[in-house]
Amino acid sequence: MTSGLRRAVWTVVLVVASFLITALILRVSGYSVGDVFSGIIQGAITATGASTSSIRWAIPLLLIALGVVIGFRAGFFNIGGQGQFYMGACSALAISLGWREGPAGLVILCGTLAAMLAGVLWSLFPGWLRVRFGTDEVLTTLMMSFIGALVLQYLTAGPMRNPQGTGQTAASERIPEAFRLTGGSGVSLTVLLLVAGVTVLVWLVLERTRFGLTMTLVGRNATMARWQGINVRRVGLGAFALSGALAGLAGAVELYGPAARLVTGFSPEVGFTAVVVALVGLLNVWGTVVAAIFFGGLQAAILFLPIVTDLPPPALVLLHGMVAFLVTIKFRAVRRRRAAQTEAPAG
Amino acid sequence: MEQILATTLRSAAPLVLVAMAGVFAFRAGIFHLGLEGLMIAGAFTTVAVGDTTGSVELGVLAAIGVCLLLSALYWWVIGPLGANVIIAGLGLTSIGLGGTAYALGAIFDVRGSLFTDVVLPRPVRDVTSGAGVIIAEHSIFVWITPLIVLAAWVVLRRSRFGLRLAAVGEYPFAARSAGVNPSMVRLQAILIAGALCALGGAELSVGALRNFTENMTNGRGFIAFVAVIFGAWHPIGAAFAGLFFGFADAIGIQSQINITERVPREFVLMIPFVLTIFAVWLGGLWRRRSLEAEAGYAELREPDF
Repeated sequence: MTSGLRRAVWTVVLVVASFLITALILRVSGYSVGDVFSGIIQGAITATGASTSSIRWAIPLLLIALGVVIGFRAGFFNIGGQGQFYMGACSALAISLGWREGPAGLVILCGTLAAMLAGVLWSLFPGWLRVRFGTDEVLTTLMMSFIGALVLQYLTAGPMRNPQGTGQTAASERIPEAFRLTGGSGVSLTVLLLVAGVTVLVWLVLERTRFGLTMTLVGRNATMARWQGINVRRVGLGAFALSGALAGLAGAVELYGPAARLVTGFSPEVGFTAVVVALVGLLNVWGTVVAAIFFGGLQAAILFLPIVTDLPPPALVLLHGMVAFLVTIKFRAVRRRRAAQTEAPAG
Repeated sequence: MEQILATTLRSAAPLVLVAMAGVFAFRAGIFHLGLEGLMIAGAFTTVAVGDTTGSVELGVLAAIGVCLLLSALYWWVIGPLGANVIIAGLGLTSIGLGGTAYALGAIFDVRGSLFTDVVLPRPVRDVTSGAGVIIAEHSIFVWITPLIVLAAWVVLRRSRFGLRLAAVGEYPFAARSAGVNPSMVRLQAILIAGALCALGGAELSVGALRNFTENMTNGRGFIAFVAVIFGAWHPIGAAFAGLFFGFADAIGIQSQINITERVPREFVLMIPFVLTIFAVWLGGLWRRRSLEAEAGYAELREPDF
């Protein structure tokens, strides 16, 4: 087997193991695994509108995960996709509500660009701290996520709150229907083409450009890259900017697509799930596409499940955690241990 | 003012306990991002077992047991199985947050909060005025937190185990040639960290409050982790950093009551996170001065999948 194929098979093994462990936990706590499984199949694929719903949830995951792939390739743990996603959605909302009478195409374009810019800024600040001062980006991107969630909460409860809104959760006004790229399903030809285009573009940048190559080199060994004359700081900033732009774009697509308005704390897990998606996709663009559709399907299924069983929805967070917990286990480490055990059974 | 100081102690105690966990992990060379998950697992188990059996002692013991088990699994995954420390740590946090919220629904059939009558003993009570308010109504864990900090300092500084830990964290190769098994020392450090997180979680749920709420740790595990960096991974330093974050939290809570009209609540809630970024930045600058620590630190986070 080629090493790429072996890594893919090994990852599938680990993901299946995570599912089995989670299934065991569900079984022990009294849920029928068969019911849950058939519910997942229905909710993700077979029920009416299920596959559309799976794609709808796969889209933000894919866009954010592609950003994670770029960051990880360059050797940076940009795990703040959640905040960048929120800031993107908020910026697009601000443009769309502030310029209601504008021509739809232009407003959407400006809103999308503003969203990407907001994502870039939200990601570039920790990125700049990282390359300039060596400030650890794992924690700063995470903190920027918490802050982004609070900004969203502030905007939806304060300046952008829908004055006619009822109910306890704060939500913004709806954007005009003319600005929407999809119906409530969140999937339309425009959006699919946009996402496919962006995916191909990311693949081209990563695999077919000089910038993509230098990024991979920096990620493999920054010291060596510096000796070869690569401006490591600039490459780092570029990687942070690109991944922020993708997460911001995901926010705009969410707003102009299925959401149409922003609710405080919407899609709370999408940033972390995107990290899981990128890792399961082996930091490879096409692998990430497959993983995003898979996890999008699970997300769609968990929303459908209450119809079939009374499984508490946080089970999905548990499952994502389980996958993240196990997915980076190294095949080599496991095989080496087994070899050591057979050679020295007494030890 | 007394009220702010009292709230500071109450907010700081869980942070300091979890920060001690972070110090042990950090000294062993582990960038432990699972602290948040362990903390909430501890908070939930204390309430779940404590409320079912009616005994807070059993609740805390069970919490320690659960956190030890999770920590052992974490060690197994990142050590012998070679998983990435950061990703597995974040996974552990999600397992904790998702697992407790799931169990709340699956076992108790509740969404949101589970209230309980069990509560940690509070040595000083019924003081309503004067400086005594500062020390009143604190759970026993708040009182023993300074002792735990001192104990951590003595263990790290004076014991054989502490010195081995330092060796393993800073230069595993040298430790191995001196006959120390780095993997075993890391296991011990991770287990100690797990037990401390259980205490921090218990203080959060039945010390300061009387309930378990989904996601009630609300980033405290990460803030405690930053206190470790801010305190230069020294127990005393980390404790003071935890105290400082507790103070910031207290100011936030107090200003929510007093100045909500002028400053939106969300901006007050942002304070710890903004301070955290500042602290990581400052901690990073400090760290650059110490080359050995830099070497030990860099080893943990090679992005190798």
